[in-house]
Amino acid sequence: MSAILPLLFLLTALSGTAVVLVRDPTRQVFVIAVNGLVLTILFDALQAPDVALSELAVGSAAVPLLYLVALMAVRNQLPGKES
Amino acid sequence: MTPRIRVALLALAGVVLLPGAAAVITGLPPFGATIAQYGERINAITPEARHVANMVSAINFDLRGLDTLGEEFMLLAAITGTVVLLRGRRGEGNTERALRRPGRAVIPRSEAVVLVCRIAGPLTALFGLYVVVHATVTPGGGFQGGVILASGTLIIYLGEGYAGWRDAVRSHWLDGLEGGGALLFTLCGLAPMLTGAAFMQNIMPLGTFRDLMSGGLMLVENLGVALAVAGGFTQLFLEFMEETREADELDEPGEESA
Repeated sequence: MSAILPLLFLLTALSGTAVVLVRDPTRQVFVIAVNGLVLTILFDALQAPDVALSELAVGSAAVPLLYLVALMAVRNQLPGKES
Repeated sequence: MTPRIRVALLALAGVVLLPGAAAVITGLPPFGATIAQYGERINAITPEARHVANMVSAINFDLRGLDTLGEEFMLLAAITGTVVLLRGRRGEGNTERALRRPGRAVIPRSEAVVLVCRIAGPLTALFGLYVVVHATVTPGGGFQGGVILASGTLIIYLGEGYAGWRDAVRSHWLDGLEGGGALLFTLCGLAPMLTGAAFMQNIMPLGTFRDLMSGGLMLVENLGVALAVAGGFTQLFLEFMEETREADELDEPGEESA
């Protein structure tokens, strides 16, 4: 247990930094999903399974999907593409 | 408001609030050291008083019931706002076709993906139901189960494509689910008042500890939350997906309200 927590904190910091450093929005969405997954494991390791379930469902499934769809919609309506 | 005044206001707020924040932060219990007093009290009381093994559910649906009502309606309001915003721009019309980006190859879905999704979709929905009904026994509950149910419908999209998904998911049913779930939750609060009890007081038989049917009224409230969350999130997915539809009659209404 004592080794797992620092490792998970490190992973959280790394994946969080990666979200900022990745500049392509589409890839960023997937990095956010990975960050959500890391947070899920962290919450589980901290014995908060309820929060972990919420984070898993919202943070690594629902939110990335909404971002992806929004990106798609925005790109479709770029000025100059149509009318 | 000039930038200078803003900075001054920020500095003023910092001077006022930072000492308080510092005091709170230094007063926090050390990381991972202790269970807070409130938590210990809950752990000691709830199994006997409410026959419930999942303390988070006990807090959410019983001990602080009214707060959860606010939380529930916060989600409802947020989703309603999103739907109003998107439909206000786009109208209520639906389409069967998803958008095709010009110049992007359309790769047909492989049969393996369809098969896996047809197996995983019902399993995910089943797991969502399991999480919902076992709210008082194991971690999870109406919200988590509802989101899992909603993501189960996404697997349909993954496996069957946009048209199949639109066939399976009807917008009006989702409206009904969302509103009906919130109504059920509110009724769970009001019904005890008919018997002379307090708002959202747990008047149903509590059942046996660690049994599926434990917790009394919590189970029904939980079901309401699950319906509202599953309907709401699927509605949200649907509305966002509709934004990517083939732009066939996206003309005047979009311009005037945008």
